[in-house]
Amino acid sequence: MLLPQLNISLDDLTLPSGRGSVTLAKRGTCFRSAASIALAIGLMASTPVRAATPSFTVGWSVYVGWNPYYYMAKSGILRKWAAKYGINIRVQRFDYAPSLDAFVAKNIDACAMTNMEALDMPAAAGVDTTAIIIGDYSNGNDAVIVRQNLTLAQMPGKQVMLVEKTVSQYLFERAMAINGLEQQIKQVHYLNTSDSDIASAFLTNQSKPVVVTWKPLVSQILKAKDVKVVFNSSQIPGEILDLLVVPSEVLNRADGSGQKFAKAITGAWYEVLKLMSVPGPASDKVLTDIAQASQDSLASYREQLATTHMFYTPQSAVDMASSADVKRTMDLVRRFCFQHGLLGEKTKSVDHVAVQFPDGAVLGRPERIRFRFSTAYMQLAAQGKL
Amino acid sequence: MSFLRIHAQPGRTAIWTLSWSLFAVGLILYFYAAQQRHRENPDDRVMPTIAQMVRGFSDAALKPAAEEEVQAASGSSLLARFRTSMLWTDTLASGRRFLISVALLFPAVLLGLHMAMFPVIGAFFLRFILFFDKIVALSLLPILFIAFGIDELSKIMLIVIGVTPTIILDTFNLTKSVPREQIVKGFTLGASDFSITYRIVFKQIWPRVLNSIRLNLKAVMLFLFAGEMIASTDGLAYRIALLRRHMGMDTIIPYVLWVALLLFLVDFAMNKLNHKLHPWFQER
Repeated sequence: MLLPQLNISLDDLTLPSGRGSVTLAKRGTCFRSAASIALAIGLMASTPVRAATPSFTVGWSVYVGWNPYYYMAKSGILRKWAAKYGINIRVQRFDYAPSLDAFVAKNIDACAMTNMEALDMPAAAGVDTTAIIIGDYSNGNDAVIVRQNLTLAQMPGKQVMLVEKTVSQYLFERAMAINGLEQQIKQVHYLNTSDSDIASAFLTNQSKPVVVTWKPLVSQILKAKDVKVVFNSSQIPGEILDLLVVPSEVLNRADGSGQKFAKAITGAWYEVLKLMSVPGPASDKVLTDIAQASQDSLASYREQLATTHMFYTPQSAVDMASSADVKRTMDLVRRFCFQHGLLGEKTKSVDHVAVQFPDGAVLGRPERIRFRFSTAYMQLAAQGKL
Repeated sequence: MSFLRIHAQPGRTAIWTLSWSLFAVGLILYFYAAQQRHRENPDDRVMPTIAQMVRGFSDAALKPAAEEEVQAASGSSLLARFRTSMLWTDTLASGRRFLISVALLFPAVLLGLHMAMFPVIGAFFLRFILFFDKIVALSLLPILFIAFGIDELSKIMLIVIGVTPTIILDTFNLTKSVPREQIVKGFTLGASDFSITYRIVFKQIWPRVLNSIRLNLKAVMLFLFAGEMIASTDGLAYRIALLRRHMGMDTIIPYVLWVALLLFLVDFAMNKLNHKLHPWFQER
């Protein structure tokens, strides 16, 4: 889910890095090539460049639960919080997959992603990762859609269009398992389809009976005749979590700037969510601005919010993170990832990429903790101490 | 500074050293950066080390592609294991699409030839093909899906639509460049329209056309990869797209090198064949 599907001509919200290189280019080719080589080496070795004021970059991609990051930067709320803690925070839009790549390569300091990707991308690649904000869970955004009243029991032998090895496949296999069809999963043929084309590919090919995808693509597909949803993520509530994750080493920076960053972004996040959650038309203005992040209309964005369980208050997110449900979910997710080789071919045991919860409990080998849930900052927000 | 002049004559060793030096620089930079990253994070997957890539490649080349075949494969010979491997099945799937598409380029050559030789055919096709050549096929995917489905046909059609106009126009221009005098001479010696087309003009341009097809193989490959990344169940690009989901760079990099090697071999073979068939053809 969650991969943006439209090209969005979004103005860069902060100073684009390209602007600096224009001035460099005027100083002659020699300098320019030296600079670009230095840059290339710098990128490869990923040496962080420290400015006087610590700067942080947050990567996000278009998705109902992440669009608030766009508004946060645009409205100046983020700047206010960053100034309070004496740091700079840049917000940058990515396509989903590149945002994950940038995070794993440590080119950005925080990234919006799902619990599954946090486990199988950075954590499995050895980047110790901490989730500091639990933003929402998919409560119907992801769906299994069929033609001609097909049922899950009829799936074996059919072709299923989806983006393989993502939450779409997770959702589909959970649907089969919940309906006692776990043994039949192997007889289903997956057709790996890029999310940018999946809606049109499904709609124009009557021969393909099943598709698994996410909103707003789901809404587009459902406008066609003779298709219906047989399973959606509201039937597995809380299993597809949308998080903001930060490398643990950033949080643990000796100068404490990482802590400031986490506090500032959490403070800004809950300020935006508070504006969003005002009942009635009072929030229309804010939601319209947020919807602009994905070039959606207010109505369309409201429709997407209806199937997203936002944790509007920090306390509700803390409760979720501290519940036993999260442990059960993460166990399901890590087993799914392991079975499908998403933790890496070398990973011989599911316990090799361990997950730690706010109460200190660990799934997997304690010396191999790679993914942590932290409620520290959300807790501070709940207590009004940010 | 005479060694930097146009008439410099570097020796055999110098040429050999110079031609490999950029490879060496690339490799050294890569492995230096990879080692740095691994020192920081032993589980790094973004820049795999040689050992990781060797393991990734041998897994891809020697382990069976599908889980069901595990029993069948273990214990058999290296060649037999290679033939059930992920790498081989992917190569076969992509190779089949590649060959069909390249085969479909040959009718394009005939069309280009006739367009240049017969003014009426030229008038009929030329303007449309000039227009069609500028269409970015990838942006019309939804229409391609309606017309050709999302299975094999649409992938091959994507390549055909992307590459044939270039080949047609190239053949057209090559045909036009054959001196008019030869055609007139052919007529005075009693040749028919078709014997002039095929036995005088076509014979001369054929090696150049082969060359043009050879130079367009990269475009064929590009469209093939685009097609496989959009929707597929097998193929080299399908595997790369899947591996990207969990940063399997230890397999992706060897895969990319493998594709480069295959492409190089096809290119090399076509070049050699062209020179063998047409020893009088000196251009490269």
